[in-house]
Amino acid sequence: MVSPWRGVSLGLLAICLGFLQSASAQDTVPPPAQLQGSSVQSTIREGFRATAKAPVGESNSISAANAKGTAVGLPSELTRLYEKGGTPRSLEELRLLEAQHQRIASAAEACTVSVKIGPAEGCGVIITDTGFILTAAHVAMRPGKVAIVTLPGGRRVTATTHGMNRNVDAGLIKINANQNEGRPWPHASLGSSDHLVSGMWCVATGHPGGYSDRRGFVTRVGRILSVRKDALVTDCALIGGDSGGPLFDLAGKLIAIHSRIGNDVADNLHVPVVHYDLSWDRLVSSQAWGYLPGFKPVLGVSGNQTSNVAEIVSVTTGSPAADAGFLEHDIVEEFGDVMITDFESLKRAVADTMPGERAVVWVNRGGQRVKLFVEIGRAD
Amino acid sequence: MPEMIYHHFRQSLPLGRTAFGHVIAVVLLIGCVHVPTTAVAQDDDIPQWLGEQLGIGVTHRRDNGEMTSLVQPIANAVAKSVVQVVCGGRPVALGTIVSSDGYVITKRSELTGDPILIRLSDDRQLSARVAAVRRSCDLALLHVDSGQNYQPIEWSSDVPPVGSFLISPGRGAKTIGIGVVSVLARPVEHQGRLGVYLEDDTNGFARIGRVHPDSGAALAGLERNDRIVAIDGQSKLDASSCQKTLGGKYAGESVRLTIDRSGSILEVDAMIREFNLMQESENDSKVNGPRNIRLSGFELAIQHDTVLDPDECGGPVLDSKGKVIGVNIARAGRVVSYALPASLVIPEMQSMLEEARAAAR
Repeated sequence: MVSPWRGVSLGLLAICLGFLQSASAQDTVPPPAQLQGSSVQSTIREGFRATAKAPVGESNSISAANAKGTAVGLPSELTRLYEKGGTPRSLEELRLLEAQHQRIASAAEACTVSVKIGPAEGCGVIITDTGFILTAAHVAMRPGKVAIVTLPGGRRVTATTHGMNRNVDAGLIKINANQNEGRPWPHASLGSSDHLVSGMWCVATGHPGGYSDRRGFVTRVGRILSVRKDALVTDCALIGGDSGGPLFDLAGKLIAIHSRIGNDVADNLHVPVVHYDLSWDRLVSSQAWGYLPGFKPVLGVSGNQTSNVAEIVSVTTGSPAADAGFLEHDIVEEFGDVMITDFESLKRAVADTMPGERAVVWVNRGGQRVKLFVEIGRAD
Repeated sequence: MPEMIYHHFRQSLPLGRTAFGHVIAVVLLIGCVHVPTTAVAQDDDIPQWLGEQLGIGVTHRRDNGEMTSLVQPIANAVAKSVVQVVCGGRPVALGTIVSSDGYVITKRSELTGDPILIRLSDDRQLSARVAAVRRSCDLALLHVDSGQNYQPIEWSSDVPPVGSFLISPGRGAKTIGIGVVSVLARPVEHQGRLGVYLEDDTNGFARIGRVHPDSGAALAGLERNDRIVAIDGQSKLDASSCQKTLGGKYAGESVRLTIDRSGSILEVDAMIREFNLMQESENDSKVNGPRNIRLSGFELAIQHDTVLDPDECGGPVLDSKGKVIGVNIARAGRVVSYALPASLVIPEMQSMLEEARAAAR
């Protein structure tokens, strides 16, 4: 039997929804010096668990949504649609469903943010009053990068990328401290992705095509078409720029993060929030690991693992490295914004890129420093 | 072996925003075909997620048969007021009947200049002619030549909030799409371009410095260093007056250019196209699907996420109470359809009706 991930790609043209771009070399900062205390982390983990058990129907007024999250009260008439999904039984029920969508969209505005890292642009959703932002791994790119976060209304704040589980495309960012005059950040209410079944209604928000002050955030409504371990498929239509944006259930709780699309307008994939919960400690401590199946970054060189320099032993014909002009015996000294000390560090630097990203590479060729431009390739 | 396609391009955003570059990585898996649902559904070895993907997933779409049946009464109520517009033998748009004496509004830029037929809800086909147009909002008023007692649509000034369901009925009460309001009505700036970068030559005439690939200018064979002598017969143009004249043209419109190419004079017709479409990659084009020729330049438009075909614009858009809140005006992308709100349509329609009736007198 094929692995589920093979199945995911069946008939699918998958497209990363962020606007990815090569590193511009100036945008690194030292890794986040001081991580939040474990009390904050456990609060969030508990948040994940508590919301999973919370009874339906606990109401929040819309005006309080900013401070209390995006959860909105669920009329008892919608319990069936909330728990099992399906078609409303009457136009009256359809209008109740619609009123729910309206409330969720309204509450989602404050925490749906635009995330810009270098020239790349995607979305994110604030999930704590301390400013943690869930996004897609391919939007956050690498730990320790500077992100410009645009809030509704156009206000910009700076943030730092933390960890990323590239196996599922889950990424974490945190707004840098002291940018909100001591006030809590408006944030989404965390939901659980455990109870989801196909046929459920959901609301997607984001900034398709990038942030636009004249337009603002964009709402879409659809249904879950398929629940997989590593992704939800919905007919909430997404496109480039939406990556990292939030998907809410009918109670206004965050259930997934936008990731990628296929050609068909009903092929929209989202990362279930459970993956952020499972890896929370690693994400907070800025670890990055794995690669999205089908999106493994490749350079196309081999080297000597035991050598104390990153000397190229061979260059694969037709590889990105060959195209960039790498030669045997080149010693790689810098890759993008990373100093290379040995072949292992080169491997790590490549693993930290996304296919399609362009990087400037400095090599030492017979005593001369030579600058190469490489576009990272892709393997399964 | 999966095929790999990468695209790098720069896109300049509308006024006041900085350009940004982006790369979209695309994985195309070859050799995957649709497996018949029945063949899979009976196979117990197929895991649930695959079954869902191949079968149940399709039936759960928000605009599936059950949902369409649910909103059928809403579509039925306006059935007699929705027509199909056939131009040159091809369906090009829907139309909305706005008066009992046979006036219909539709999307102007889809009319080709060929003879127009209107297909009514009862399948009758009647010839029609253009009675008035409003370029600024891409509306045309058609008049059906024969018959009386048409059923005009009843407009509503309700403004459904973001997240509200919208129902788009086609001809004969067939629901063509269900979606929601994505963004409240806002101006959608016009992005039609000829696709030339102009400079003044030493004599103060407009000269082409560069031709944008995939533009109407490129298709018309314009070249670098061509001097623009006249646009639609209007001559003595420098670069800025050229830009001003061309800037008044919407996507789908064509201009006649008089060109001086190294001393010889040429007459060339070129089409104005949407700038975004000129810039997009093949994969952008795939994921966006078919769109109208004109996607921009609307004084006010509601953005919604109903999946429409380009020939399904011009018809009414209804809210969940059955109120007619606007007219679909463009399929603009994978996540974007535009509808003109009734607050804009009503005055434009009234002024077109006055103009048409005055001319008919």
